[in-house]
Amino acid sequence: MRIRLLPPLCACAALAAGGALAHDDESPAKLAGKLGTVNFANSCDPKVQPAFERAVAMLHSFVYNVAEKAFAEIFDEDPTCAIATWGYASILMSNPLAGIGPTADNAKKAQAMLARGRAAGAKTERERDYIEAVGAYYDGWETRPEKERQILRSKAYQAVAAKYPDDDEAQIFNALYLASTQSQADQTYAAYLQAAAVLEREFRKNPDHPGVAHYLIHSYDAPPIAEKGLPAARLYASIAPAAPHALHMPSHIFTRVGSWEESVATNRRSFQASTASGDIPEAYHASDYAVYALLQLGRDADAKRTMDEAMRVTGATPAQTAYTYGASAMAARYALERGDWKSAMRLQVIPSKMPFTDANTYFARALGAARSGDIAQAQAEAANLAAAHKALEEAKNRYWATEVEVQRLAIAGWIAHKQGDAAEGVKLMRAAADLEDRNEKHIVTPGRIVPARELLGDMLLEQSQPAAALKEYETSQVREPNRFRNYYGSMVAARAMGDEAKARQYAGRLVTLTEKGDGTRPEIANAKMVFGQR
Amino acid sequence: MRRAAIAALAATMTLGAIPGAFAEGYESKPEAAERDPDYAAGKKAIADKNWGEAIARLMQAEKRDPDNPDLQNWLGYSHRNLKHYEAAFKHYNRAIELDPRHRGAHEYVGETYLLVGNLAGAERHLAALREICLLPCDELKDLEAAIARYKQR
Repeated sequence: MRIRLLPPLCACAALAAGGALAHDDESPAKLAGKLGTVNFANSCDPKVQPAFERAVAMLHSFVYNVAEKAFAEIFDEDPTCAIATWGYASILMSNPLAGIGPTADNAKKAQAMLARGRAAGAKTERERDYIEAVGAYYDGWETRPEKERQILRSKAYQAVAAKYPDDDEAQIFNALYLASTQSQADQTYAAYLQAAAVLEREFRKNPDHPGVAHYLIHSYDAPPIAEKGLPAARLYASIAPAAPHALHMPSHIFTRVGSWEESVATNRRSFQASTASGDIPEAYHASDYAVYALLQLGRDADAKRTMDEAMRVTGATPAQTAYTYGASAMAARYALERGDWKSAMRLQVIPSKMPFTDANTYFARALGAARSGDIAQAQAEAANLAAAHKALEEAKNRYWATEVEVQRLAIAGWIAHKQGDAAEGVKLMRAAADLEDRNEKHIVTPGRIVPARELLGDMLLEQSQPAAALKEYETSQVREPNRFRNYYGSMVAARAMGDEAKARQYAGRLVTLTEKGDGTRPEIANAKMVFGQR
Repeated sequence: MRRAAIAALAATMTLGAIPGAFAEGYESKPEAAERDPDYAAGKKAIADKNWGEAIARLMQAEKRDPDNPDLQNWLGYSHRNLKHYEAAFKHYNRAIELDPRHRGAHEYVGETYLLVGNLAGAERHLAALREICLLPCDELKDLEAAIARYKQR
């Protein structure tokens, strides 16, 4: 069965559902709108078909709460529809690419629902196979690390995809769960690229499928392969505009390639959809991406407005990473990207349960202090970073411990540099940059608060080593393209080297980048002068 | 292994693995490994210095979580205490293979090299720690001290 999911939801769906799926009608703000085209053959009662297809579409776009409720209601409405329990358990796995998995409570809920689904007995072998595939993730959930669960899930879906080669949904879910096994330490991106190969085939067959476009973006969310994700990124928001995540996700690719205007536009829509649907962490996440982009464009007033608007949204909790990370990062970026070191020093920690989001603020305060010459405050903040690092190490959270170690090394480097030990400063700052390059950025962030290699360039420039600085800036551009501070540093370094042609080239890039900006930063006036506009 | 590390382990046993609040929002949930009953029992056996039991339980946990560098490190430590040096080296090296920046494994394998009279082996890991610990770390200081003591013998 193929259903085009179009707004308004309800006349057709509610009629088809015999009016029983009141949930859709109860939450028009959450559900109204297009979610893309999904074709998931199933043996459930015809009366639940529209709701089931829509719930699967929501699953593909991570519309968590609404999809969870929808699958539960479908199973209530048609107790023979065991495949609805598969959907219910699947949505509770949360974003599989974040590597977090469900809360313990949600895992229990999923296990209980799967038990009901197994007891009900799906009418087809294929549906039973789907249920067992998600069961591979949840069975023994309590005693397995998340990584092992991810691998078991991927193997189970690989088997389903192999058994049903003509089942597009099986291929698509297989690709998703394969991509979810990608290690952030593997810079060959093996799992991502295997998943992308499957998804590219599906993209040609199913260009309006929300999952295909969505998972292609995730599968190309790494610097050297991001360009390949642009076609999917430019389509996904129009495929599933009702899903806040679909409006935000394209910006993962736009950020990777430095397409800031596109990032701002899609995150603005995502913010509005997220606040309308009550998804507060997603609203902060989208705003952080938007602020990052706006600051690159020199649209500082818009960045401030976007940040302030987000900070007025209440309802998130300190345990929600997307909220605490976004809130702390926006404030840090707004100060540091503008070189407002004094404001950076005064930032307040956003209360959180996660030491790595607290670290954003410590890092910004430390860098602000070091660059202002306030070594005492920089050292105090370095101690805060050390405590955050220790907490992460004790929690065995290697990824974020490494990220905070990069920040610690950078701050130690700037302190040494400002204390007059140039060689030690560069040694530490270079170690930070090298370590950061080996650790992929996390999906919670559009980018590090400031790229470490760009900071190395800044330090070398202050040490009157413009050629070395330019080399670092240009290396940084490979992973962090089209950044304001990078272009400005590159321009200054090139000028100091006497390479006027290259200086003009970078000045031109900065002028072009900021042509719709406020024009208030002194760097823009300098760039215009070098470029020959004034 | 430092007494502090053992004390921390004992405290973890008492207080429960990782503070619950830290669970939310992490890139992975390492506490899930701690909830593995064999892993937990293995660590308790280490705290009790029951090395044979520790090895038996950790090897059960290893079947489910073969790529956990901490688990490999604990296995190395347990074997080392039984003077099973070959097995200790195998697990320490596996821990380092899984996490080349595992400071604890570098320190402990370095100390194990000293136990078998291989100063050069210990100094290789000291050099690795000097690369890793640009910011001061206890593991580097402890291995430096162990090597200094070894040289004074």
